[in-house]
Amino acid sequence: MKYIEYLKDNIIGIIVYLSTVLLLFLMLNAFKVDITVNILTIIILLISGISIITINYYRKNKFYKLYLNSLNKLSEKYLILETIPEPNTYEEKLMVESLYEINKSMIENINDYQRNITEFKEFVEIWIHEVKIPISSMVLKCHNNKEKYDKSLLSIIRRLDNNIDEILYYVRSENTEKDFAINEVNLKEVIRNVSIKNKDDLLDNKIAFDSNVKNSLVHTDKKWLEFIINQIINNSIKYKKDKDSIIKIRSIEDNDKTILEIYDNGIGIPTKDIGRVFEKSFTGSNGRDKIKSTGMGLYIIKKLCDKLGHNIYIESVEKEYTKVIIEFGKNEMYKF
Amino acid sequence: MKKIMIVEDDKVIAEELFYLLNNSNYEAVILNDFKNAKKEILGSNSNLILLDINIPYLNGELLLKEIRKESHIPVIMVTSKSNESDEVISYSYGADDYITKPYNPTILLLKINALLKRCEMNKTTISYKDLIFDIGKGIVKNNNKEIILTKNEIIIFNMLLSNKDRIVSKDELMTELWNNDEYINENALTVNISRLRSKLDEMGYPNIIETRKGIGYTII
Repeated sequence: MKYIEYLKDNIIGIIVYLSTVLLLFLMLNAFKVDITVNILTIIILLISGISIITINYYRKNKFYKLYLNSLNKLSEKYLILETIPEPNTYEEKLMVESLYEINKSMIENINDYQRNITEFKEFVEIWIHEVKIPISSMVLKCHNNKEKYDKSLLSIIRRLDNNIDEILYYVRSENTEKDFAINEVNLKEVIRNVSIKNKDDLLDNKIAFDSNVKNSLVHTDKKWLEFIINQIINNSIKYKKDKDSIIKIRSIEDNDKTILEIYDNGIGIPTKDIGRVFEKSFTGSNGRDKIKSTGMGLYIIKKLCDKLGHNIYIESVEKEYTKVIIEFGKNEMYKF
Repeated sequence: MKKIMIVEDDKVIAEELFYLLNNSNYEAVILNDFKNAKKEILGSNSNLILLDINIPYLNGELLLKEIRKESHIPVIMVTSKSNESDEVISYSYGADDYITKPYNPTILLLKINALLKRCEMNKTTISYKDLIFDIGKGIVKNNNKEIILTKNEIIIFNMLLSNKDRIVSKDELMTELWNNDEYINENALTVNISRLRSKLDEMGYPNIIETRKGIGYTII
């Protein structure tokens, strides 16, 4: 609070006061009061006037200084009510009360949104479980009536299923605290499950699949990791080269971490795009020119990895290869 | 014939599972009365149960808990929920295996097969005519000769012998191989089968593995 600004705010009061003092001076002069008495009276009046305005300033300034200071220090500004000094004057009380009201109505508003999001999320989860049932029926029907339904139908159903999983994990990655459970998971088993899921697509696309993954135990959520690796392998299938395609997966044990590398000799990622592949809705030139992409897959994967505490990197040379590296920490803290 | 009880409230899936299992030489039964599920299941003398989690009245997990109080019958849990907690609950209530929808039917059959075998006694050898196949060691022998099989040949021979009475499809063989971390393609499968054939030929059994074009293989 600046003194000058404060004076400006009170300019009308000051003008009225000074005019009164001037009027009094002229009046006493007109009544021929002794000039010394006159000047003394004026000086006393001016001193008391200045004192009143200055004392008032210091009182207000004390409150606002504390208030502004704590507001500055707070990173979450809306918590100001928790740190505000006790209001003393009527004016301060009015301000604090109105802040309280504003805060309350904002919190109610946010709660509404939060409830809406939670309800939406719950609905999406339920809906996905519902929609998995007809998908299962389709898979079984195709399997049981091979002569009636073309094999390519299964590949289409798989794509549908993958797309649906993408929504499920998007919702989970955006707002979740309780959805995952960290356990000791065997990497080899995860790779096995994902590879069998993609077996037909890999074989139909003539992609050699080579796994050199040891029985490494890592701390993670199995379902989430399967989704993550499934997305990566789907990308490798989507962005393969025309011939001699290969996907190589290997695990490396380090002192403090286990590293999983998924390598493919596909079309790769242009250097200008590689820094942005994990961004939301980013579709690089590959995603635009060759195959339509939503730009969400890698974004979701990155978010899930962040939640699980795994590092994920992508290395690539355009037209040569893409390598996705996931690091699992060997932190004893996860053990229970 | 092994009897399998299907506990599933979605009619279409239950019927398709029924066909799938019947075509794979199992006797499938569908549970109709969910109200008395426990009594029906225990009274059915089934060898295995496919138990969906989302069923009317008692949910699958609680039903499993009830069943486990009285029986050790193998149970495979089936669900469309893909979260870890359901899986953990199912295992802690005594499920033998767990599979999420939409599942690969071949994987389901493999899981059923593996579970039933595990429950039978750990068979380590299978005999075929005068041959003895030691699965653990990967050796086929008769009185005067023995040959060593590679990992892929063991998997293929085991699969064919365990399903002697029917044709094993290429897809089943491939899935079983991939399930054992042997990620080979169909050409490699053909090569493996012809190697297995010539090894069996050495043992005096030429042409016992028959190719059924477009369907798969069978052992005669």
